[in-house]
Amino acid sequence: MTSEELPGEELFLDRFPDEAQVVRASLWSAFVALGIGALAGIVQALHRVGYVRFIDSADYYTVLTLHGVLLVISFTIFFLVGLFTWAVTRSLDRPVENIRFTWAWYLTMVAGTVLAGVAILGGFVDSIPISADVLFTFYAPLQAHPLFYAGLAVFIIGTWLAGFDWFRSWWIWRSENDGRIPLQTFMVLTSMLMWYIATIGVAISVVFFLLPWSLGIIDQVNPLLTRTLFWYFGHPVVYFWLMPAYLLWYTVLPSISGGRLFSDPLARVVFVLFLILSTPVGIHHQYLDPGIAEGFKFIAMTNTMFLLLPSLLTAFTVVASMEHGARQRGGEGYLSWLGALPWRDPAFTGMALAGLMFAAGGFSGMVNAGMNINYLIHNTLWVPGHFHLTVGTAVALTFMAATYWLLPQLTRRRLYSRTIGLFQVVMWFVGMVLMSNAMHRAGLVGIPRRTAEPQYDGFAFDAGLSSVAELDAQVAIGGTLLFVSVVLFLGNLIISLLEDPMEGTVDRSLPPALSGPEDSPEVLDNLSLWVAIALLLVLLAYSLPIGAIVADGGLFGPGTESYPVVLSWLEVVT
Amino acid sequence: MNVHTYEKIWLVASLFLIVGFIATVVYGAAGAGIAMVDASGGTVDSTSLSENERFGEPGVERVGDGEYEVTVVARQFMYQPDPIRVPADSRVTFYVTSADVIHGFQVVGTNVNTMVIPGQVAKITVDFDEPAEYGIICNEYCGQGHHDMEGKLVVVPEDEYGGDDA
Amino acid sequence: MATDRELKEIGHDEFDPVGTLTLITVYFLILVGMWVLTYFVEFLGNGPTVVG
Repeated sequence: MTSEELPGEELFLDRFPDEAQVVRASLWSAFVALGIGALAGIVQALHRVGYVRFIDSADYYTVLTLHGVLLVISFTIFFLVGLFTWAVTRSLDRPVENIRFTWAWYLTMVAGTVLAGVAILGGFVDSIPISADVLFTFYAPLQAHPLFYAGLAVFIIGTWLAGFDWFRSWWIWRSENDGRIPLQTFMVLTSMLMWYIATIGVAISVVFFLLPWSLGIIDQVNPLLTRTLFWYFGHPVVYFWLMPAYLLWYTVLPSISGGRLFSDPLARVVFVLFLILSTPVGIHHQYLDPGIAEGFKFIAMTNTMFLLLPSLLTAFTVVASMEHGARQRGGEGYLSWLGALPWRDPAFTGMALAGLMFAAGGFSGMVNAGMNINYLIHNTLWVPGHFHLTVGTAVALTFMAATYWLLPQLTRRRLYSRTIGLFQVVMWFVGMVLMSNAMHRAGLVGIPRRTAEPQYDGFAFDAGLSSVAELDAQVAIGGTLLFVSVVLFLGNLIISLLEDPMEGTVDRSLPPALSGPEDSPEVLDNLSLWVAIALLLVLLAYSLPIGAIVADGGLFGPGTESYPVVLSWLEVVT
Repeated sequence: MNVHTYEKIWLVASLFLIVGFIATVVYGAAGAGIAMVDASGGTVDSTSLSENERFGEPGVERVGDGEYEVTVVARQFMYQPDPIRVPADSRVTFYVTSADVIHGFQVVGTNVNTMVIPGQVAKITVDFDEPAEYGIICNEYCGQGHHDMEGKLVVVPEDEYGGDDA
Repeated sequence: MATDRELKEIGHDEFDPVGTLTLITVYFLILVGMWVLTYFVEFLGNGPTVVG
């Protein structure tokens, strides 16, 4: 328990100035991605429903690729590396071992983002033969420019190096300290172990298949194999987005609520469960894929359903920690204690509303997990409706709220306007309620996702008691509110930085848990054991399906050609 | 471990939920008879579909009493054949593959929905009891004309069904 | 106002999260109700369905 508490009188910025600089750079990179991604978002929302169509529908997919990649790769993961650097440094209470190495991984990630970004933006300019209109999932045989795949690989290597940086801090800390891994560091390490296991899939897909194929070294790939390798990575990546939000809910939100974390042991159990169960579930994204036997899909479903457990446990622990704060602030009764929570604090309200939306997203996620019900919602607007609640609110809104809380200790600046901050987080919540509600309902009547013009010639969607026009209006209003919310968030931050530095101290200490790590068995900290179990489950879940896919179709496919997205566009025009 | 009683209650309730969800899906498979698209359609060389015995001629074929097979080729940005006509009160097996990239095959307003992956044959069997007209859409991004990719499925009354090619 | 009025210090043993239990019970009931509605009404009522 040497370091769970940072001395209240010393700001992170003063105690670890070099690290604070890296954290700030990472967060700013995240916010640049957020701003561009949000702009792409409103263009899409208004284009889809047909209200404002100032881009060509063919360019919609360039905008969509930009929106997806920037928000779920750049925004989330840059914020993650900044937050994890902060969390490891403060919870171990030691600087990074070599700040040049820390900058090296940050710059590697930036380089990867720029490479992939250039490839995507090339899609807007017809005279440049570079494009990557392949969306976030880059399913072959749609083919992006090699820069896109190379950028992705470079970015992921940057995250691997970042993980090494945090592990190294812990190894050295361990040689000098006894006792349990501090909770925040524990969360970072388990998240990164999950990430190492998960990225094996996408690394193999990109390095051995897609990159050589886009360079013309190999003629063809097996589309089902590269797709399966993508989803091997594609599900755990959603937990990688979520883990920093969980870290904040477990270790920061209780303090903002005026209380203490209810249970440190359960927090550790939850992160171990995520490490073990996040990867052997990816096939649930492929319930409707031909070429994969039903039994493999059923195994993926069982694993996925048990992956609900850590999130359901989190709901209890986090709400109980908030209730503890409310009761310490004088809250009473079964539900009226909710009124004693600090609802005027944008950091609190943002995180609490994010958690509430995650509970709703939990439900649509349960439907996504159910194998045969996938026929109803697969690739409909229901699916983006779901993940705009999870990554789009549980994660994004928590990150914005946490930024309000982190700002003073990273920049020595006060938030310019708490009122605007509060307004902004509530606006996000309202916008997302409208947009995601409409998207879920649109999905149930069969309206597809990833489509520039979901209006067809031969038939009309039957929206039952409602109408498609009403759903469209909700998407447009919701999307607009979300965009304005991002503008307010970024504006509020920028103006804050222009203000004079604060004098004096800000108390950002985090109180220890009500039930501390001493209440949990030591085995929870045995990371090698959990990695071994995680790898075993991955082998069990994936060796047979991948074996069957390769046996049936061959490593390089049963015969497919390449479809560079630039060429297919030319075909449409001519 | 120091776990609060309420938390233990919630843990049990959570496990109950999880098992309940799995049980519902098992009921859907065993009780309601819903089957997942799987590997039974086999593989095919998507670069030479025109020489393939089945996919060389996309269309509807009667294979038994009230039983039909529909061979569908999805390609940028259309389905062959289009429209697909089958009689009501029939059992129809679709064989769907792609001539180029990954597509979707979703019969709007129903639970008929599958991925169409080049090299793989999606084989799904559906009972059509009543006459109806359905839209078919591609629900997986397949290139810049993706939003134009649609087709039609017409289930005609049994006595009006003129034959395979009508 | 969000002034930090730490009225009391409540330890682990004296804290019974009865409010959390209430909220989570409501959530549980919503989940069960919504699941039944979505699976049995929206999904199974949305035929035709893949049977083979």
